[in-house]
Amino acid sequence: MIVAVLLRKLMEALLTLICATVILFMLIRLAPGDPAVLLLGQPSEVAAMHTEVYEQKAAELREQWGLDQPMAIQYVSWLGRLVQLDLGTSLHTGRAVSAELAERLPATLQLTAAALAVQLLLGFWLGIVSALKAGTFSDQLIRLACVTLASTPAFVTGLCALLLFAVTLGAYEISSEASWSRLWLPALTMGLASMPQFARMVRANMLAELGQTYVLAALSRGLARRRVIGQASRNALLPLVTVTALSAATFASGAVVIESLFAWPGIGKYALDSILRKDYPVIQGYAFVMVTLVILIHLCVDVLYAYIDPRLQRKRRQVTRGVNEHA
Amino acid sequence: MHAASEAILIVEQLQVSYRSKEQARPILHGLNLTLHQGETVCLLGESGSGKSTLAKAITGLLPPSAQVGSGSLALAGGIAVDLADDNGSGSIPWQRIRGTELALLFQDARQALNPVMTIGQHFKETLLDHRKAKPDEVESISCRLLRKLGFTDPLVLLSSYPFQLSGGMCQRICLAIALCLEPKVLIADEPTSALDTVSQREVLSLIRAMQLDLGLTVLLITHDLAVARAVSDRVIVLDQGRLVEQGSVQRVFSQPKALFTRQLLAYRSQVSAPAKLRSTRKSSACLLEVRRLHKSYDANQPIVRDASLTLDEQEIVGVLGQSGCGKSTLARCIAGLETPNAGSILLRGTDISGLQGKARREICRRIQMVFQDARASLHPGRTAQQLVQEPLQYLRIGNKQERIALASHYLQEVGIEGEAQYRKPPQLSTGQCQRIAIARALVLKPEVLICDEAVSALDVRIQAQILKLLKRLHKQYRFSILMISHDVSVLRSFCHHIAVMSDGRFQEGKQASVRLHESSQPHTQLLLRCAGDLEEVRI
Amino acid sequence: MHSTRRSVSLIAGTVLLGLLAVLIAGAHWISPYDPVQQHAAERLEKPSAQHPFGTDRFGRDLLARTLHGGQITLLSAMAALSGALAIGLAVGLAAGMFHNSLLDRLFMRMIDVLLAFPFMVLAMVVAALFGTSLFHLLLAVIAVGWVTFARLARSVVLQARNETSFAAARVLGASNRTLILRELAPKALSPVLILATFELGSLILSIAALSFLGLGAQPPTPEWGSMLADGREYVLQSPHIMFGPALFIMLSVLAFNLIGEGLRDRLDPYEKPQL
Repeated sequence: MIVAVLLRKLMEALLTLICATVILFMLIRLAPGDPAVLLLGQPSEVAAMHTEVYEQKAAELREQWGLDQPMAIQYVSWLGRLVQLDLGTSLHTGRAVSAELAERLPATLQLTAAALAVQLLLGFWLGIVSALKAGTFSDQLIRLACVTLASTPAFVTGLCALLLFAVTLGAYEISSEASWSRLWLPALTMGLASMPQFARMVRANMLAELGQTYVLAALSRGLARRRVIGQASRNALLPLVTVTALSAATFASGAVVIESLFAWPGIGKYALDSILRKDYPVIQGYAFVMVTLVILIHLCVDVLYAYIDPRLQRKRRQVTRGVNEHA
Repeated sequence: MHAASEAILIVEQLQVSYRSKEQARPILHGLNLTLHQGETVCLLGESGSGKSTLAKAITGLLPPSAQVGSGSLALAGGIAVDLADDNGSGSIPWQRIRGTELALLFQDARQALNPVMTIGQHFKETLLDHRKAKPDEVESISCRLLRKLGFTDPLVLLSSYPFQLSGGMCQRICLAIALCLEPKVLIADEPTSALDTVSQREVLSLIRAMQLDLGLTVLLITHDLAVARAVSDRVIVLDQGRLVEQGSVQRVFSQPKALFTRQLLAYRSQVSAPAKLRSTRKSSACLLEVRRLHKSYDANQPIVRDASLTLDEQEIVGVLGQSGCGKSTLARCIAGLETPNAGSILLRGTDISGLQGKARREICRRIQMVFQDARASLHPGRTAQQLVQEPLQYLRIGNKQERIALASHYLQEVGIEGEAQYRKPPQLSTGQCQRIAIARALVLKPEVLICDEAVSALDVRIQAQILKLLKRLHKQYRFSILMISHDVSVLRSFCHHIAVMSDGRFQEGKQASVRLHESSQPHTQLLLRCAGDLEEVRI
Repeated sequence: MHSTRRSVSLIAGTVLLGLLAVLIAGAHWISPYDPVQQHAAERLEKPSAQHPFGTDRFGRDLLARTLHGGQITLLSAMAALSGALAIGLAVGLAAGMFHNSLLDRLFMRMIDVLLAFPFMVLAMVVAALFGTSLFHLLLAVIAVGWVTFARLARSVVLQARNETSFAAARVLGASNRTLILRELAPKALSPVLILATFELGSLILSIAALSFLGLGAQPPTPEWGSMLADGREYVLQSPHIMFGPALFIMLSVLAFNLIGEGLRDRLDPYEKPQL
């Protein structure tokens, strides 16, 4: 049964991916101007190239990409190349986009994981404390701090952090390397920026769980307070797996600001530089990789839920054995 | 015999109030209560009388908005606590009292179990936390208890989750978990109110059996007179936070002293008295016919299968069944809320099943429905007047003045008069809400009124009033009523005919309600036996 | 006592927002300088009585730029959000009302697909392909922003459809239109509006962030994010140029967040049991 559910989820994810590629494809076609020019760069920008040569190159490109063929065929052939992980070549470096992105992906993932850890640990702790002390001064304080933090743009926090640690204290090295010693500041900035929202949800879910009858029932059995809180917080966290996955996706894609601020050589900074350089194949490749990543994350969440929430696993299997009929 | 046995729980001068907005609303006014070893005491009261507050106060589970003004709790083992200390200070050693001294059963047993823990894990944490067993003994202890409570295959049960079990099973499991700590007193807060008659009887007889077996003292909190009579040794009647009467069950039920108790008993007999309204009705034309109706959401689990039923003009037919038997789905199909998968619903010979859009709305004039939870069926922000005008607006009947006049007329008919017509549901009582719901249905002058458990959630006093009202309106406006209920006595007192539903179908056609006990169907007999036991026999 | 404490954040948020609105609307009167006019002689001046926030690298008064920038930032965020809100509410109501119909499935598929596009990614692609401008950015906001509202509205509607009051209204002869407008929309509106106040805050942050990256408003338009981006190279020498826009971004987002918190506490007042 569970296999069938997973299979269905997989099919849905594939369908979503295909729809997403259609949108990506259409976006490029909808963009003003000749796609060949977009892909090759404006004649004025491609210096050191005669008009004839440029035209010839453009014609080659049109033929190679099948730009003169009907849209549907163009799309299918593009999809075919995508399947073979051929994302085209960068206009700037002339290297394969897939290779360029693969080089930078680890740095982004490293940052994402670290930021996620900051968000989860801090958000969970503050959220639970705030829920347990709901209505008290410490709860108000935590909430106020969270609201303030949530209202501060990440780049402002980042700039302040840079000013403080790099300029004033000199405790942070300004370079463009992805090293462990440089990880903590961007990770902290990113994690802190998204922590308040997570803490707020933890608090709300925890309060909702604490209001459930099973909490009263557990207390009425004389169980230790710790244990009851543990049970409730576990149940409060179950629905937050999705949220966590979503923020992982946001981190991976939205690392742009932090990466460019801290000169972290990740995929986001690369994409931003490519936009400013009008390196279309890279942007297209970046978008495709990100969308695929998000869909994969969603799929993982679905699979994870099937395992951690018994309610989904056994919904249909009602227990009827072991029950005597009415006396 | 009880006078001789020692007091095991003494509550004195318990005062509890709830803060809401600025003012404090008193719930309990200095209540005194003594339980003796081995007895079953029933705390009887209407909703809002403070009986659940008592249970929560003596287990320290009151919500923060509750304030204990005064009160002391003394238990047999020499434990004495001042309940007024229990305002979040944590000075009362509740962990020593809860579970081992006092155990608590909740109304909704399924909610009382952690949804993501197996039954076995519940036993395990309870036993281990109190160091009542070593880890390797947990399974054998819990299996033994579950067997004692009538489960034949406890191992399967231990590995299953609450959502896989029925409400009755969950309550029995809660009982088992409570008993595994060998508590001295079991406080059961409406343990059977959410259950149907059959499971109700099962749970009650189990509590009784365990009490006799283990020498347990039981405080049973209920609003149900039949439950109180069936299981208790002593009855304490609570009215608006005050103890109005206490005494042995025989004495209270045969010679009630307090006015409140006398009224309560009178209402109950009114509700369950065999009706005298049959035979005056001539046999008349068939108004509504349900033919081989089939409804399922999941192909493997049909809710209604092959159900057939007829309703004549001006007839009152009761549909009796346990929860989950499909009676509500049947009602919803007839009211046009659900589209049946197969079969037909004929209103004066025309099929009305599964109509959509305008055609469905036309049928609304002719078939109306009153729901179990009247308050939930009314928009909280609209006045009684507006609520009754709603169907007229929806179906574009009359102009504004006519609508107001019609609404006032029907509101008067149901006893909502004067200034009350301009109040909103939150300012009205549950009984008044149900009256508005009835007026709202009748304002369209329907031919059929479906009452889906319309009186089941009400206190017996209001139940009697609503049933009386329905009877009067039925006589006056000559509509037919389809009464859906799990309550045999209500149906027997109110309906001409009763059809018994089980597993989504009617095993036999409708029976004259006076002759229901002659039915040969085993299921009907079971329902009657369970209800009858509660009525007259002690468990 | 509880209710008063709860509404503190609502009152604080509203007062703060009102204050900001007055400041921003009265930009002309409060700071007489032209936000775009350059003064080479007054470059990178520190805050003074004449220039409370100082001047930027072109000698423009930062207070004037901040206040004028607020008009652009806040108005564009509100415009984009209203667009997303309207679409989201309509789609959510329709999908919820006709649950499991072809329409619902189509919408859900669309939502699934759009959810795969993180906002930043879409905004960057749009900026790259269609050119960097605030208008394109706002279109991108609407394109993905409605999804959140639609999902919330749909889930509220699905819940409301199972309530007795919905069944009662149907039995009383309400048409689909009446059901949506009278029974479902009011129930969906309050949670959606609360979400919208929070979203407005985060939208201001996103627009500012994208402008900061150079993908939103273009110079010389005064806009908070682009002002920050503009000052980025000089920030290490003269940090004061960040102060104005950063403060205003913070305060306006804070105002919306406080209002959101206050409204939500009012919508679901929960009570914690004693442990």
